[in-house]
Amino acid sequence: MKYIKKVLGEDLRQYTMVVALAALIIIFNIASGGKMITSSNFQNLISGNAYVLVLALGMLMVIVIGQIDLSVGSVAGFASMVMAITARQFNLPWYVAILIALVIGMIAGAWQGFFLSRLGIPGFITTLGGMMIFRGGVIWISNSISVPVPSELKWFGAGYLPEWGPAFTGMNNSTLLLGIIAIAVYVIAQMRKFTHSGDVTGKKEAFWPFAVRIGIVAAVIGYATWLFGSGRPGTSFPIPGLILVILIILYYLITERTSFGRHVYAVGGNKSAAELSGVNVKRTYFLTMLNMSVLAAVAGILFVGRSTAAGPADGTSWEMDAIASVFIGGAAVSGGVGTVIATMVGGLVMAVLNNGLMLMGVGADKTQVIKGFVLLAAVAFDVYNKKNRG
Amino acid sequence: MSDGYILQMKNITKTFPGVKALSDVTLEVSEASIHAICGENGAGKSTLMKVLSGVYPYGSYDGEIVFQGKKMTFKNIKDSERAGIVIIHQELTMIPELSVTENIFMGNEIVEKGLINWEKERKRTRELLEKVGLHIAPNTIIKNLGVGQQQLVEIAKALSKNVKVLILDEPTSSLNESDSKNLLRLMLGLKKQGITCIMISHKLNEIAAVSDYVTVIRDGKTVDGYAVEAGRVDENKIIKAMVGREIENRYPEHTPKIGEVILEVSDWNVEDAKVPGKMLCKNSAFYVRAGEIVGFAGLMGAGRTELMRSLFGKNMGIFRGGKIKIEGREVQINSVREAIKNKIAYVPEDRKGLGLNLLDTIRKTVVSANLNVIKTKGLLDFDKERAASEKYKASLRIKCRDVGVGVNTLSGGNQQKVVLSKWMFTEPDILILDEPTRGIDVGAKYEIYKLIHELADEGKAIILVSSELPELLGMADRIYTIFEGKITGEIPTKEANQEMLMQKMTITA
Amino acid sequence: MKAKKALSLLMTAVLAATMLTGCGGGRGTEEASQTATDTTADVEKTAEAGNAETAEAEDAAGTSSTGGGIVGVALPWLGTQNWAEAEVMFKEQLEAAGYEAIIQAADQKVPQQQQQIESMIENGAQVIVVGPVDGSQLGSVLEKAKDAGVYIIGYDRLLENTTGVDGVVQFGSVKTGELQAQALLQGLEELKGSAPYNIELFGGGPADPNAPNFFTGAMSVLQPLIDDGTLVVVSGQTDFTQCATVDWDNSKAQSRMDAILAGNYSDIEIDGVLSPNDGIARAIITSCENAGQPIPVVSGLDAENESVEWVWSGRQYSTVAKPTNALVAETVSIIGSLLSGNGMPATDVKVNNGVIDVPIYELPPVVVTKDNAKEVFADDPDRMALLTD
Repeated sequence: MKYIKKVLGEDLRQYTMVVALAALIIIFNIASGGKMITSSNFQNLISGNAYVLVLALGMLMVIVIGQIDLSVGSVAGFASMVMAITARQFNLPWYVAILIALVIGMIAGAWQGFFLSRLGIPGFITTLGGMMIFRGGVIWISNSISVPVPSELKWFGAGYLPEWGPAFTGMNNSTLLLGIIAIAVYVIAQMRKFTHSGDVTGKKEAFWPFAVRIGIVAAVIGYATWLFGSGRPGTSFPIPGLILVILIILYYLITERTSFGRHVYAVGGNKSAAELSGVNVKRTYFLTMLNMSVLAAVAGILFVGRSTAAGPADGTSWEMDAIASVFIGGAAVSGGVGTVIATMVGGLVMAVLNNGLMLMGVGADKTQVIKGFVLLAAVAFDVYNKKNRG
Repeated sequence: MSDGYILQMKNITKTFPGVKALSDVTLEVSEASIHAICGENGAGKSTLMKVLSGVYPYGSYDGEIVFQGKKMTFKNIKDSERAGIVIIHQELTMIPELSVTENIFMGNEIVEKGLINWEKERKRTRELLEKVGLHIAPNTIIKNLGVGQQQLVEIAKALSKNVKVLILDEPTSSLNESDSKNLLRLMLGLKKQGITCIMISHKLNEIAAVSDYVTVIRDGKTVDGYAVEAGRVDENKIIKAMVGREIENRYPEHTPKIGEVILEVSDWNVEDAKVPGKMLCKNSAFYVRAGEIVGFAGLMGAGRTELMRSLFGKNMGIFRGGKIKIEGREVQINSVREAIKNKIAYVPEDRKGLGLNLLDTIRKTVVSANLNVIKTKGLLDFDKERAASEKYKASLRIKCRDVGVGVNTLSGGNQQKVVLSKWMFTEPDILILDEPTRGIDVGAKYEIYKLIHELADEGKAIILVSSELPELLGMADRIYTIFEGKITGEIPTKEANQEMLMQKMTITA
Repeated sequence: MKAKKALSLLMTAVLAATMLTGCGGGRGTEEASQTATDTTADVEKTAEAGNAETAEAEDAAGTSSTGGGIVGVALPWLGTQNWAEAEVMFKEQLEAAGYEAIIQAADQKVPQQQQQIESMIENGAQVIVVGPVDGSQLGSVLEKAKDAGVYIIGYDRLLENTTGVDGVVQFGSVKTGELQAQALLQGLEELKGSAPYNIELFGGGPADPNAPNFFTGAMSVLQPLIDDGTLVVVSGQTDFTQCATVDWDNSKAQSRMDAILAGNYSDIEIDGVLSPNDGIARAIITSCENAGQPIPVVSGLDAENESVEWVWSGRQYSTVAKPTNALVAETVSIIGSLLSGNGMPATDVKVNNGVIDVPIYELPPVVVTKDNAKEVFADDPDRMALLTD
């Protein structure tokens, strides 16, 4: 146990969900006769859930700040519908279309942020209003009819990395390169951490935990690289997955390594104390809501890219999936607690459940029931743990 | 009745995983007396009271409780209340949006045929309020009452349950002087009616004034007991018993090195944001010099905190004019951020409510008011963060396993040191300390006093707001008194005494 | 530092290796895409010719067994009678034909259906029947299925905006509209004396590609008679967008009928209403009854149990049966043709779905009135039971 703690850190509880996720994957793989852990299924898993995970990134910050955003699904649907309609009407190139969706997201977010931060209307109410307004807006402007989007957008929602280089690798070389870069970055970061480990305390840490960590992470990334890269020729690590990974890194840095991120946690933990520490609470609220809606627009783009058309019902109840991911990831309803990585794990737990149950032919009805129980169980477990600690 | 004791707690031992909170504690309380329990924070007073009131049920501790000659086995609070033991907690438990009547009968409603008989409840409430000397209507909403009045309602509620032993946990900690006196008087009245009171308190003068016997607890053990005779206790003896060492001086020696005026405030006016027309600060004017400790004395609600928070970036009330000069230059401070930029720091009185994010770790808290300093290439640098927090951990002797632990795991004194670190990290010239030693045990208080002196010696201007006049007399170089939003006096400490200050705090000059 | 150096060396080595071996091609893409296009070509050929040899395509799909095979059926939901029936019938008929059936319903959620189709591909389905939640939002998933060599058959609704569709089985929706209009006219002549007749028009949910087709079909019959004055649309609302019922929501139709009656029929009687389905028909009839109007001649669709009773009792003049049984049977026979290597059967009807021309297999729907109800439902014991005297 002591050795495990040396490698993984003091707080082993944060790995509970990771273990649960791994267990789910293995159980489903056995139950479905090996259909779970295949290149194509993992590609499906990522491209089919990227949009929810993108939403969860923004939702995490909203929940940490002590609010909730019910409108994300509607905003996603609205942004992508406006994009689809204007792009078709004026025959716009795809990049202009994307820009339009992002601007719509920004406007929607500024709208919600205004009511929350300037007028002090709770996020629950503000976004409940937004949910109705934007859902109604989608149906209104679309006349309840789906609208095709520029075909280039398919690349964002369902595309793959290019094939190049030598064939002897037996893999998609773009994926291989990504995997190598990921491992390299991790190794460099760990080595730097090791060489600086004595700077503050004066006591240099032992090298072996770093080595073990590097070994484990390299093995996991290596395996994932092989899994995603060795699929049918023409397939690779999916583009929506790549976008997601970039966003995860970005939001990890924002939440952990920027003043804004610290302020989000500070406001969520104790608003008055944050205010008295010089945090601009209103601005923090505003930016968090703005960010959420922009990410909703990104999720909308990924989804319509995959669907090849924007539909009037796009985004319906997505907010629930995003919120569930955040809470399974251990965030607190009262705010102040939650991390990007744990949220992503929470989202993947939901995604794997969904995917695994589908592979086994379980219907949408029962899947829903099971997901509900998992959400309750995960949060109950978390609460139980915290109680025992205090 | 055994030996005239209404209550005996014999050889109580209570262990939590890894910690022995109480070991072999014995408490004997005579009928119709006022029994004080004192001890440092964390000594085990609250745990003992939780054992008594059934929060920790029978079986989860060793030892026995004998009440009115019978062995008690309380399973929960309801059990102990039924027996006549009621505890009034430090944090009041009234529901602010409900009326006095509803609160008093909460969970104990007078129900007839399935419906509440409001007439009876109100009548009974009137009687109870009479008993505690509170002249308000039974329908008054709790949130419209002052803290002192709320406390009295709590006691009325206890009386409604036919209380025999009333436990008061730090009853005067949030009360002002007159409310405190009122409460102590009420306790003496209850005693005459045959009700026994157990009072947990830090305040030795109060203990001396009302109690018949003092039990001192230290580190989960009963250390000593003293009978109080004729309203006098040997304060030094009790303090020695509480901290386990003799403190010769409760306030460290200090020779001030006073320099130029740093902060000068004039014509400062602030209106109450909730009550239009009510002024929180009226033409306030004062100054503070480098190296000087300036005390602010005033009763609760006099406008001390309001004045300080309005200076600290207009954080409270509506600004209605006034000037701030820092080192002779007039400055505009419209937000906390600008106040910090102008090198002002404010340590709030409500540590948990306003000073700390209890979810944060020590290291995150220490740097939280000055994040820009620990950035490398625009990103927060965890190494710098750790270095900063380690520095304060060492220099302020913050007791913790690691700076990575949550501030919620620390004792009150150590939490306050973390808050002080946070503001020292902003390198202020002007440090406003609002009740910096509230709820902190004697040992930690002494350390904080020494720290205040060190900061003053570094040339910082220090404003010390306190409800405790001895603290101001012991620490400040000069004292301003505040009454109803007005500064009513300015006295060099050498010429001041408690009576004089109290006079200026209660009468407009 | 040492490790860092070693690492950068490794990286350089990898990159150098890639450079040396050249950048062209990548692994097997050429062959792969070759086979892929071959397969596609075959599919198209067979779809057109109807009887060409498709052994190659079969190999690509990974079938080696003779007879049997895995068939996926993705349904939008099970919330209405016809979809619930379809689920049961597909299961029975596919298993009777010796196939393994994976049937999943998507609870009216597009993302759910996308993932279900993907999981069917993972489960080795050779044919996937898709009753889409939204026919235009499955594009990339269906193309993925096609790339994996799976046949895609649209069921009941057109699959739009994708190349990943081999054919669609449905009841002729324009034809359905024509039949509804003819039944309306027949009823008017039978029950409401001589022309002119006062009528109103209702359309279905605009999100359903069939709805405008129903309306178009009906108007092709009605418009000439409106023009010559035989029929009078008193409200003047004759545009599909004016007449449409969002989400096929009965209550919305009823509110619209209430408004029309209140606004236009205070002193005249309404003779007939074109209704796109049974639920809306019943809403219309209820609205007329509430307004104190005599019951007009109302058309319908789907032969829902309640409307069958209403037709039998004379409250609703007609409905149109689209026997789920027949549609499922047609679909299963096409699957049989595909899996036994005979490709898609021939058909003359093709509809452009926005990207390609899709072969359509249309079944004729059947008008049901009180007069022929017993004949139409002769094989349907459930509905026969409703026709009691």
